[in-house]
Order: sequence, then structure tokens, then C-alpha cells
Amino acid sequence: MFNSEARGIKWLSGALVLAVALLFVPGLSGQAIAKEVFAEQAFAEQAFAKEVLAEEEGAEEGGEPKVEWSQDVFYKDWEGNPLKGPVSGPPAPELGETDYNNYEFAPSRMLLWMANQQHLYFGSFVLAVPIFCMLIEFVGIRTKESDPILSEKYDRLAQDLMKVSLTAYSWTAILGGILLFTFITLFPGFFKYMAGIFRPVMHVYALMFLAESGVLYVYYYGWEKMKNDPFLKWVHCSLSVLLNLIGTVLMYLANSWATFMQAPGGIDEQGRFLGNIWHVIHSTLWNPVGVHRILGNIVFGGGIVGAYAAYHYLTAKTAEEKAHYDWVCYIAMFIAIFGLIPLPFAGYWLMKEVYAFRQQMGITLMGGIMAWLFIIQAVMIGLLFFGANSYLHNSMSRVKGSHRYMKYAKYMVLLLIVCFTMWMTPHTIVMTPAELKDMGGAQHPIVGNFGVMSAKNTAVNLMITCTILCFLLYQRSNKKIKVSWATQGNSWITAIFILAAINIVFLGVYGYLLPANQRVGLSVPQVTSTLTTLFAGTAINISMFKDADSYGEIEWGTQSRVATYAIFLLAISFTWLMGLMGYIRSAVRLFWHVTEVVRDNSPDAYTLTIGEAGKMLTFNALFVWVQFVIVFWVGSLTAKKIPSKVPEGVPVPAQQQQ
Amino acid sequence: MNNVVKGLILYVAGWAAFHYGLFPLMKPTEPTWLVNRYVYFLMFVFYCIGFNLILKLKPPIALNALVVWLIGLYFYKAVLFPPIPWTLLITYMMLWTIGTFLYISQDPKTFAEFRAPIVKTVVGEYKTARIVVFIALPVLVGFGTYKSLEPSFQEPVELRTVHPAPPATTKVHGKSYTLEGLQNPFRVDEQDNYVDGGPGGSALPIEGKFPFLDADKHEYMKSITEGGTIFFQNCHYCHGDQLNGLGMFSHVFNPTPANFIDPGTIAMLRESFLFWRVSKGGPGLPNESTPWSSAMPPWEEHLKTEEIWKVILFEYWYTGWHPRTFDEESSSGGE
Repeated sequence: MFNSEARGIKWLSGALVLAVALLFVPGLSGQAIAKEVFAEQAFAEQAFAKEVLAEEEGAEEGGEPKVEWSQDVFYKDWEGNPLKGPVSGPPAPELGETDYNNYEFAPSRMLLWMANQQHLYFGSFVLAVPIFCMLIEFVGIRTKESDPILSEKYDRLAQDLMKVSLTAYSWTAILGGILLFTFITLFPGFFKYMAGIFRPVMHVYALMFLAESGVLYVYYYGWEKMKNDPFLKWVHCSLSVLLNLIGTVLMYLANSWATFMQAPGGIDEQGRFLGNIWHVIHSTLWNPVGVHRILGNIVFGGGIVGAYAAYHYLTAKTAEEKAHYDWVCYIAMFIAIFGLIPLPFAGYWLMKEVYAFRQQMGITLMGGIMAWLFIIQAVMIGLLFFGANSYLHNSMSRVKGSHRYMKYAKYMVLLLIVCFTMWMTPHTIVMTPAELKDMGGAQHPIVGNFGVMSAKNTAVNLMITCTILCFLLYQRSNKKIKVSWATQGNSWITAIFILAAINIVFLGVYGYLLPANQRVGLSVPQVTSTLTTLFAGTAINISMFKDADSYGEIEWGTQSRVATYAIFLLAISFTWLMGLMGYIRSAVRLFWHVTEVVRDNSPDAYTLTIGEAGKMLTFNALFVWVQFVIVFWVGSLTAKKIPSKVPEGVPVPAQQQQ
Repeated sequence: MNNVVKGLILYVAGWAAFHYGLFPLMKPTEPTWLVNRYVYFLMFVFYCIGFNLILKLKPPIALNALVVWLIGLYFYKAVLFPPIPWTLLITYMMLWTIGTFLYISQDPKTFAEFRAPIVKTVVGEYKTARIVVFIALPVLVGFGTYKSLEPSFQEPVELRTVHPAPPATTKVHGKSYTLEGLQNPFRVDEQDNYVDGGPGGSALPIEGKFPFLDADKHEYMKSITEGGTIFFQNCHYCHGDQLNGLGMFSHVFNPTPANFIDPGTIAMLRESFLFWRVSKGGPGLPNESTPWSSAMPPWEEHLKTEEIWKVILFEYWYTGWHPRTFDEESSSGGE
């Protein structure tokens, strides 16, 4: 049984590796996609031609040219001069008292924050679940021939998840409506400006929403009908791909508002729209935010499904139920951890782009007013990695054959803690004057070296590499490798990990000797080393499972309590962390609605204290979990099976006696 | 003798011998690669592992966990030098505690084994242990309460943000500067490769150290020496003659003046940031995150614009750092 389940996981691993690789193409290809060089050139040439034409027309008519041209705040042409575009909208308004409304009971900003955050949480979940379903259904199809029972199990799980997602989908739409109404009613002046620029996007967004709903309903309600015919089943699985594509476009369109507000493009200094909506959408942070959110959604979705399964696991009354939910925990955590591993890299890419956009913004985030929130973020990320590793160790320990690897667990924990100590060491240490004197200066001569990016990058890459190693060991814990090239394979995996670790540490130390701009470049080979362990390590590991003997099946239903609680810890940490990072990203605009273009003149244009922000984040996290509980409960209403009672005296046909 | 008791005796006796016997010898005034406090610590760790292996004591996981936790505390409290502030100690010990927990809870068996003595103590199977624990716990809590309520006359700690965010533009000597993209007019090369030959000579940058004695023959070095002169006339009283923030007045300031040698200060910043920071000083810092507690005067009132740039040039040259730069392409929408 486990062999067949492992085959399923093998497919799942393969699919996940491919998906993550595809996702990172924009990041790995550097600026290629982010900058759209060709599009810029084409536009610049077009703009130049228009400008010449307009001037000629103006000259012929002897009057002023009709079209006014202005310079873009962000985009530049190939000579490095600001790109010009025809002014196609009114200037940004100087917002006054009448442009803001408020209720007595709460500041408008808090209400909008709450509405936005709740919508985002749910949006994130409903975007993640179809990705899960797509992968799980695909694995189900691939395992159908070898193990029909397992295949059915996968298919049923995907369908169950989709059922919950369906309720959550309506809920998300309702929360979206609440967000929109809150925005329009409380910030009418700002909304008017944004709607003026994003008008076409709003319509496309609505149409995409319609398409998403249509595909979603066909996908869900057509499940049973398309289940048995192999061709139709593939069509059904393709629908999930389509569903994800539309969902991704939807998310990217919604992101464009936030990324425009943070780092605008496509407008001039006065905030006038310059006629190219693509420039407005495709501002500098659009791609990194998009990739970061997709990965974040997967991790968040995995956390929620995991917590749901963990809850049922703890409350399960029968061994069968326990086994089922243990298995669901396993699948959910598998996907979540796979998303978690590359997530910091996407975050790094985003921060790099923020720094490049405005040094001021980068410093406000990492060294200025938001820096302590980043310290909290560091704690939360550490908790995620601890939780993930704790789950992996505990889950691995109950697999027969894992004794071969469990002895390394303590060393992995030691490595994690040492790395996390480096990761957590702040650059500016909170201390009393007496302690400062004892230390002989503001920087500690030993641990002070851990306060800079070279150390942080090294630490986080080693932590991720360690988690990947744990993940690989978990995959192979009950396998007796039989392939003829087992020794070579093991040697390769060992070599890849050792060389990656050496490379990461060497580059980290070397970074201290280099100027900052070159040092930033070192993070690329560090990340590449880590990703090599992920991709190459997983690929070799999986290939070695061919014809492998099993030490024994996983006894589903034996998940330890520590592992189960680790899943809750992960889910709650994801939720809180998402809220925290969303707040930081948004609050870094300080007193701007749109950075340097539309000033926030509302009474709420202040930065919250850390404590106040923390309270709001905790409230949002708790509130969304209450809603998740309700949504899962609603989803379970249809799932309740009424045990069919056989009327007394009626003989049960043989085929029904099971 | 019980293995646990044997182990405990060896731990305590070993620690006493190491701490009072060896430790003073291993921290000479001028430590070497072999004779220093960290090598001492490693020796102590090897001793702890060694006697368990040699005597095949196989200690229970609870004892292991306790020893691991105490070894971490010993390192952070006594070995690591100079002593770290209590906020950092708490952070590190919190992490070490989590690590210890991960170690004991790595599988249900070790966790059950760890819990067993605790459960036995609580339910009364280990009677003496229960008496000790149940007396010691309230005493410890009482002591903690006393310590936290005891008045202290220290300044409270404050959460400081070290790098204020600069404004988009700044006005110095009547001229407005956009900080984004602002360059030091006296910088020849981003990486401090010097232009050889001076006027009429080759304009190619040369890598490597420049002969300081010929400084006056080269424009770049001239700017640096001028910057250095201004630094020693005005700045070194606080920032120190080695630019390490330990000038003769530094000890009366809290926080102490910036240490330019540290990789986390000027090495992480653009020159335009320094230009703004030096020109505007403490009074010019932004409102957010106040109080900044910066005693630096606004140097624009005392120095000319070129002099400020030259001082900045000198600070980078002296410390060996290079100002932070970004790829042109990533900071704009163009190619």
C-alpha cells in the first residue's frame, strides 16, 4: 500500500517541482519579464512618432498641438530619459476633509484594513485550493492504473476540497463586495482617482470573475459525470488548469492596484494617466508581488487544509477516520512545505525591487520605522521552519525504516537553531546604557557580524537546505533502494548537499569583503545552490525509488500529537505572518495613498505603534479563523452521511454486503 | 551507582574543574587561535560528550535535554565575550529552548521518555523530587517577582530604529537635490579604482591601493586628503580617529556615535544618504520613529557642499567600504 502511495507522492513531487520551476522563470530570468524591454521600446518608438506627428500637425495649423505630452514617473526610454506619453486623465486630486467619511465607532482606515485583509485571506484560500485540486486530481489520474483504490482516494480528496472551496468562493465574493463598499463610502475621493485610472481593469476583472465562476461550477458540478470516462477525466483535469489560469490573472489584476499605490508607473508627476494601461498595471513590483503571493497562497492553503485535517484527526472516533485525516495532513503539509521552501526567495526578490524603486522605502522597511516589525517577521519565519521540521521529524519517526535517518535529526535541529540565531540577531540591539558600556560600543564584535545581510542570507539558505534534506529523508525513510546505481545516487545527493552548504557558507563569508552592490549579487548563487539541492536532490531521490522494497507501510492514524499541534502552529503562523507582511507592505507608503503622487490627508494618516498593529493583526487572524470554521462547517453539512438502515426482515443482496 | 547519578556527578565536577581551573588559563589578555575562550568551550562540550561515550552511560533524554539547555545558557552567559545585553540573551535562550524542545520531541518515543520523569514527579512517584520541585517553584516565582518589582535606576531601554528613511529631496545651501541617483561629484569610480595620470594622462582606472605619498598629484586623492583634514578638524571628536565611533566624546552619548567600520553602517548606504544625513544632522531627521537621540549638528551650517562630499569620500576611502549602488536597470522602467 505504501509503495503505491509513494508513487502518488512521487508524481506529486514531480508536479510540484515543475510548478515551482515554472513559477520561478520570471525571477530567474532577471529583468527580462519584469522590464518588458521590447514592449517599452515599441511603446517609446510609438510615443516618439506620435509626438513628432502632433508637433507637425501643430505646426501646420499654426497653433498649439492638441495633445499634451508628459513624462512618466517611472518608465524610461532606451536612452534613460523619462518616457513621454499623451496626458489622458485628470491630475491627482488634493484630497481634503470632504473626501473622507467616517463612522463614530472606528477609524476608517481600520475598517478598510479589516475588510481588505479578510478578503485577501479568503481570496488566498480560494486561489490555493484549485492548485491543490489540480495537483491531487492529476496524481489521482496517474495512479489509476497502478492503484485504483488510492486513485479514488486522491480524487475524493480533491473533490472534498473543492466543495469547501465552493462555499469559500461565495464568501470571498461577499467579502470583496464589503471591501469595495467600504472603499467607496469611506474614501470616495481616492476611489474616484483610482477608478479613473483603472477603469478598464475593473471591467476586465469583473469579466474574469464571471469566467472563473463559470469554470468553477462546471469543474465542480461536472465532477461525477466526467469521472469515469478517461478522456472526459482529462478534460476535467484540464478545466482545473484553466481555473487556475483565470484565478492567477484575477489575482494579478487585483494586485495591480496595490503595486500601483506602492510604486506607481504609467502616470506623470501630477498623477495624470499617460494613456498606457499596461504601464499602470505592470509597475515595478507587480511581478515579484504576484509570484510571492502565488507561493504564499499555496502555503496558506496547505496550512488551512492541514489544520482542518489535524482538528478532525484529534477528534476522530474511528481508526478509519484517524487514518484518513492523518493522510490528509500528510498531503496538505507536503504541499505547504514545498511552497514554503522557495517562498523566502520570492520575498527577497520583492524587497530587492522595493530597494531599487526607492532607497527611502527600502530603508523605512528594513532599517527604519518598520524594522521592528521585520524582526517579528523573522521570529515568525523561524517558527514556520521549526514547525515544518518538527512535523517532518515526527512523521518520519513512525515510518518503518526511518531509524536509519532519525539519528541525524538532532544535528539538523542544531543546525537550524544555530542558523536561526544568526537570522534573529538584530543589527541594532536593544540595551541599557550600562550594557552598552560593557559591550564597548553599539556593535558586538562577535554577534554584531550577524546583523547584516551576508549572514542573514547564509543562515536562511542553510535553514532551507536543511529542511530540504529532511524532506528527502522523509520521502525515502521506508524505502530499501534497489536500483543498481544506488551508491552513485547516494554519493551524488551527498555531494550536492555538501557542496551547496560549502558554497553558501563561503559566499556568505566572502560577502563581508565585497562592496554592497556586489554583495547583493552573491545571493543569486546562494539561492541557486539551495534550489539545486531542491530540484536535483528531489529528482535523484525520486529516481532511486524505482523497484524499491518497502520496510513496511506507513501506519496511517499514528501521527504523534506533537506533529499534529505543529500543523496548528504552522497554520496560525501563516495567517498571522500574512497579515503582518501585508500590513508592512502597505504601511510603508506612510502618508501617501499613491507614493509621491496622491497624499493621504485623512485623519488616519499615521503609522500605528507596534502594539496597536499587533492587536489588529491578531484580531484579523482570529476573525478569519472563525469564518474558516463556519465555512468548513457549512461545507461539512452536505457531507454528512446518514447511515442507511436496512429494514428489518429484508435480505441484503450479496454485492451490498461489505 | 546509578548511571544518572554518575553522570550528574561527572557533569558538576567536570564543569567546576573546567570553569575554575581551565577557564582562567584559556582567556589570556591576547588570545590566540588555540588559546581562547571559544576553544575552551569546545573542550568542555567534548568532555561532556566524551565521558558519556567512554563510560557508556546512555543518559535518559530528560537529563540530556537539561544538560543541552544549561550548556547553551553557560555559553551565552559566561563564555561569549563581551557580555551580550539581556534582550539578546533572552532571544538566544528562547531559541535554544525551542531547539531543546525540538530535540526532545523529535519522535513520540523520546517525547514520552522525556515526559515520564515529569509525570512521575507530579503524580508523586518520585516523592523527594516532588517536594523539592513544589517548594522550589513558588520560591523561584517569588524571587522573580521581587526582582522585577525591585526599583532600578537604570535608563529604560528603547526600541530604536537605526536608519532613518531619507526624504526624496533635500535642500542644501539653497540648492535642491533629488537623493535618488545623486552622485558624489568627487568620486571617480564606484569601486574606488583610481584614475591614473591626472590631467592629460590615461583615464583608465587602476585597481589596487594608491600610493598615499603621491596623493597631491591625483585629483581623487587630493579630494580624499582634503576630506580627511575636514574630518579630523570636525568629526573625529565623536566618530573617533579610527572612524569606529569611539571618539573622545563618544562615551557621553547614548546611543554612541555611528561606527563606520561596522559593515552595517555606511557600507549599506548610498552616498546620497550620507550627504543628507551629514547636511541636516540630528535636527533634520524625519518625524517618524522619534526620538532619534542624535546629537549630530546640521553640518550644512558649518561646511560647504563640496566639503561635505569630500568628508564622505574620505570616510569610504578610510574604512575600505564602497558606497551602496544599484543596477541602473532595476531602478528604472527602461532597459
